[in-house]
Amino acid sequence: MIGWLRHQKHAFTAALRRLGAQPVASLLTALAMGVAISLPGGLFLALGNLDRLAGDLPAQPEISVFLDTGASSVQKQAIAERLRQPDIAEARYVPKDEALAALSSAQDLADITAGLTQNPLPNAWVVRPQTMSREELVRVAGALGKLPGVAETHLDSQWADRLQAALAIGRTGVWLLAGLFAVALVAISGNAIRAQVLARRDEILVSRLIGATDRYIRRPFLYVGALQGLLGGLAAGGVLAIAGVILRAPVEQLAGLYGSAFHLLPPATIEIVAVLGLTALFGWLGAWLSVTRALRQVEAAR
Amino acid sequence: MISFSQVTKRYPGGHEALSGVDLSIEKGELVFLTGHSGAGKSTLLKLVAAIERPTGGVVSVSGQNVGRLPQRAIPYLRRNIGLIFQDHKLLFDRNVIENVVLPLDIAGLDRRESLKRARAVIDKVGLLKREKANPISLSGGEQQRLCIARALVSRPALLLADEPTGNLDAGYAADIMAMFRDFHQVGTTLVIATHDDRAIAALGGRTLRLDHGKVEEGSA
Repeated sequence: MIGWLRHQKHAFTAALRRLGAQPVASLLTALAMGVAISLPGGLFLALGNLDRLAGDLPAQPEISVFLDTGASSVQKQAIAERLRQPDIAEARYVPKDEALAALSSAQDLADITAGLTQNPLPNAWVVRPQTMSREELVRVAGALGKLPGVAETHLDSQWADRLQAALAIGRTGVWLLAGLFAVALVAISGNAIRAQVLARRDEILVSRLIGATDRYIRRPFLYVGALQGLLGGLAAGGVLAIAGVILRAPVEQLAGLYGSAFHLLPPATIEIVAVLGLTALFGWLGAWLSVTRALRQVEAAR
Repeated sequence: MISFSQVTKRYPGGHEALSGVDLSIEKGELVFLTGHSGAGKSTLLKLVAAIERPTGGVVSVSGQNVGRLPQRAIPYLRRNIGLIFQDHKLLFDRNVIENVVLPLDIAGLDRRESLKRARAVIDKVGLLKREKANPISLSGGEQQRLCIARALVSRPALLLADEPTGNLDAGYAADIMAMFRDFHQVGTTLVIATHDDRAIAALGGRTLRLDHGKVEEGSA
């Protein structure tokens, strides 16, 4: 165990020395990896923030039932009766004056609404059905829409559903993209390590002659690959942090225009650790593939 | 310790370096290999260290059939063999002490102990003042001594030397031979390929003469 630890320490120190001996090449490799990681990483963060935005929307679907302007009091009474049935969990009447007042205050439209000669909004009910099933909601909304005195119904969760569906597609896309960039990461690391193995051909041959195993020879290269992956992950973090700083103000301004206090959130600590771990792993994998192949070539050329 | 039974080594292209060689070297023995250039001395040493595999016959070292040794076992065999190469095989991207300490790093020894042992052996070959020097700045003779130091540092049970005094002046050659004698006296098996008659005369030991791939017992 002590011998194994000594070998690890020796290989890690050798890897640090090798990276330090070629600072520009190491930096360029890390930057190439960083750029490759920052694209899926940025999309992942963007989706996370959009997901959060969608999460702020009402979790329970609502149906807005807009009444005909000419609805009679009998029809209104019948509608109120229907909304007391067991399939409706809650129903709140919103008179048109209240709707106009809410519209004016919520979306800073006071100037426009003040200029109106009459209130164009209809009286309405905001209804929360018992069911959460999409098909049932559509059925209830359809049934309410057919009631005499009802002008129109609107299932309020519709756009949130569409956003969630789009986010699901986006998430799948990000994972596919991340897979592709992981392959790119392995290739970048492998290529950098291959060049190092060939540059150290003599050292490898001599080490083999005096008793080095392939595992011993391979180990420092694996550490170099893992460290380069880690540096690539940190570089990607830097790129995303800069992008976050640049985008923060415009995003908050846009959200403010919609009356929202939404702001961009940085990734969670666990996400940062996971990404750094993965980039180090892919760097290690690229190094392993490359050094194993190169060692075979060095042996064959001997 | 070492035995060859009907060993043949034919290189790609057809050159037969060794032809039906039978020999036996006991543990603790000192053996010189002599013969003209191309007689097969280096090939014989390479077969012992599993750098080459025999085309036919059996090469045995410490009871192991080296020719059939799996690739993964060869490094462990070589850790018990000190190799002194004609062309030194030094690493020019590290200094003298780092070259010498390499076999101990490979063996996983404590770094402090490794450096202590490396300095002791560097002192023995007269390079202590140059321990931080790059081998490229050393003369041919100094490079040879550095190669010897690297071979000796792991205190191998078997030392194989290919023309170890070829690049040394008479004084240093005598010092190196004295070191070999010390190692021989503590039980190390030495097989030395050399043209140096003075060294053979100084150390005594057994001489095997190689001629066109055949081995015969003889005197220098």
